[in-house]
Amino acid sequence: MNHAVTMSNVHKVIDNFQLESIHLEIEKGTIAALIGKNGAGKSTLLNMIMNLFKTDGGDIQILGQSVLGEDESWKKNVAYLPQKLPLIVPFTGHEMKELTARWYPMWDESLFQKIILLFGIDLSANFKKLSPGTQQQLNLALVIARNAPVLILDEPTAHLDIPSKQVLNDLLIEWMDNGERTIILATHQVEDIQKLADYLVVLKDGHIAGQFEKEELIETYKRYWFSEPLEIPTLPGEVERKESSLVTNRPTEAEDFLRNENVRCSNTQTLELDEIVTMLLVK
Amino acid sequence: MELPIQLSKDSREPIYFQIEEQIKALIASGQLSTGALLPSIRTLSKDLEVSIITTRRVYQNLEQQGFIRSTQGKGSFVAEIEEGLKKEVKVATVRLVFETAIETALRHDYSTEQVKEIFSDLMKDYEDKGKGE
Repeated sequence: MNHAVTMSNVHKVIDNFQLESIHLEIEKGTIAALIGKNGAGKSTLLNMIMNLFKTDGGDIQILGQSVLGEDESWKKNVAYLPQKLPLIVPFTGHEMKELTARWYPMWDESLFQKIILLFGIDLSANFKKLSPGTQQQLNLALVIARNAPVLILDEPTAHLDIPSKQVLNDLLIEWMDNGERTIILATHQVEDIQKLADYLVVLKDGHIAGQFEKEELIETYKRYWFSEPLEIPTLPGEVERKESSLVTNRPTEAEDFLRNENVRCSNTQTLELDEIVTMLLVK
Repeated sequence: MELPIQLSKDSREPIYFQIEEQIKALIASGQLSTGALLPSIRTLSKDLEVSIITTRRVYQNLEQQGFIRSTQGKGSFVAEIEEGLKKEVKVATVRLVFETAIETALRHDYSTEQVKEIFSDLMKDYEDKGKGE
């Protein structure tokens, strides 16, 4: 059993939105970034993994245990930080910690204190009075310190300033190194993907448009530059055409094709990850 | 510990290969000495912004070739390597840099004769400055 999370043939209709035949396998010990445009269904998907939204069909497992049955012992294996917390509580940080810690046997108090110190959070302040960034930091501390083998984060860096993002990245990397752990994070930040992700899971219009290993994905896209104006028929895998450049996601075939057409390119370039992500999400 | 590794995305050499060759060069040149602890695959993947699939592959290859040894729970360390292997790596490192330079020149439509000329001009400059050996 090598998977932290699996979804097989999961579907769900909510109003006029539909998630269809979702198949997903997240390998243990890896970090997967779930990406998609606004409204692509990322949060819905994460809520379904947590069994907070019921599925209309299919199965979802966390560490080999179905989340859909009567047995809810899978819950100890996963810590989830939703994008929006269901309610804003009138508690201080200290009180929230006491309430959280007692529920989780794996609670790591020293890790919690370390995160509080790194972010510089005042635990005696009322949660409601904290800035959105500090609220997010506190929520992160509460969820990471649970030490569940599977960590699911929905937009963890959304409200964080640049130094805090750095702190979070380092924390998550260190956390990953302390055992066989897995992170799924939904994000819009290319930086998160660049620094953290091993795999990218692309969600588009309610279905999984692809799951890619980061370097493999980067090596798939190539841009060719030409010194003469382009008069070439459509290239295999062509995804972009400009005045003097072409982008393909099937470079081997494209290069054979150019050779046959007797066209020489003046330069070959690898794309930046943010360009690739944009192409994946838009095209 | 952060490793001084520079990746070139536009190189024809795959990323895992570039990392592998540069770690070998660090070991062969003595910058990483026998017994030195290497970063974990997760830390290295963060530092280089590559996936853990890539760094895992690098460490597996380096271990197979005898450059590093990994101990469960303790991490990966630089292995003791023979002088012969060190020399081989040094030669390979320098050759790789020249090959890249030659490829660049050929892409700019220089002939091999012209490349030789450029090279000997540069060498002459070095020798004039007294930096050559």
